[in-house]
Amino acid sequence: MPVLDDELSLVFAALADPTRRAIVERLARGDATVNELAEPFAMSQQAVSKHLKVLEQARLISRTRTAQSRPCVLETERLDEAVGWVALHRQVWSDRHDRLEQHLSTLRRAEESGR
Amino acid sequence: MTGTGELTFRRVHRGSPELLFACMTEPAHLTHFWGPAGTTTPVENIVVDLRPGGAFETTMVNDADGGTYTMRAVYAEVSPPDRLVWVEAGVEGGMRTTVTFIDLRDGRTEVVTHQSNVPAAYLSAEAQAGFVTSLDRCAAYLARLTA
Repeated sequence: MPVLDDELSLVFAALADPTRRAIVERLARGDATVNELAEPFAMSQQAVSKHLKVLEQARLISRTRTAQSRPCVLETERLDEAVGWVALHRQVWSDRHDRLEQHLSTLRRAEESGR
Repeated sequence: MTGTGELTFRRVHRGSPELLFACMTEPAHLTHFWGPAGTTTPVENIVVDLRPGGAFETTMVNDADGGTYTMRAVYAEVSPPDRLVWVEAGVEGGMRTTVTFIDLRDGRTEVVTHQSNVPAAYLSAEAQAGFVTSLDRCAAYLARLTA
């Protein structure tokens, strides 16, 4: 079974904040500058920058170094990893219960034939 | 504090809560379904000391290459036939699994498995104050984003 490493912990921690989730949602629709991101949140650029820093540390977003406006880009593969973690744990239990169901029906058949 | 990685899995089975509880706690039953797909858990590889503080250990064997993986857990609560809780200290900073058996009173039992972990990264004051996002909801949300 995989280990939830610190990298993934950072992703989940970053997504624990509603403002940061809104930022991610906005970036899912396309790259945006800090100014563009700050606009709908009635927030100072400074406050938005703080959130962006957290998202950047979790590598959920990256910022272009070359362009003057430094637009933020969503790193979708990091989201995929987070989704993958959940899917994997669910899969283990789903498989387990599939086999438990088979086991229970085997028990029932044994009981019926034993009567 | 609500955990970080968190998920709930529900399944309705034919059988009484007593039978389902037995299936989850007796090696003779567990050996039939415990190991994840592609693995087998021989009955002699299962340790169940059914009491709070008792060991719950399973060594799963990979069908393809014979490789093994051992889950080491300790029971935190043993309340037949309603509830079973174990904690894996060594996994992901501490993984807690709660299995609840709900009698549907029609010969069926709903088994609700709740798993949550508490990675060290989340034990900060900030996390304790505000982190209540369940992983399931997070997953639904993330799936929507990446769709």
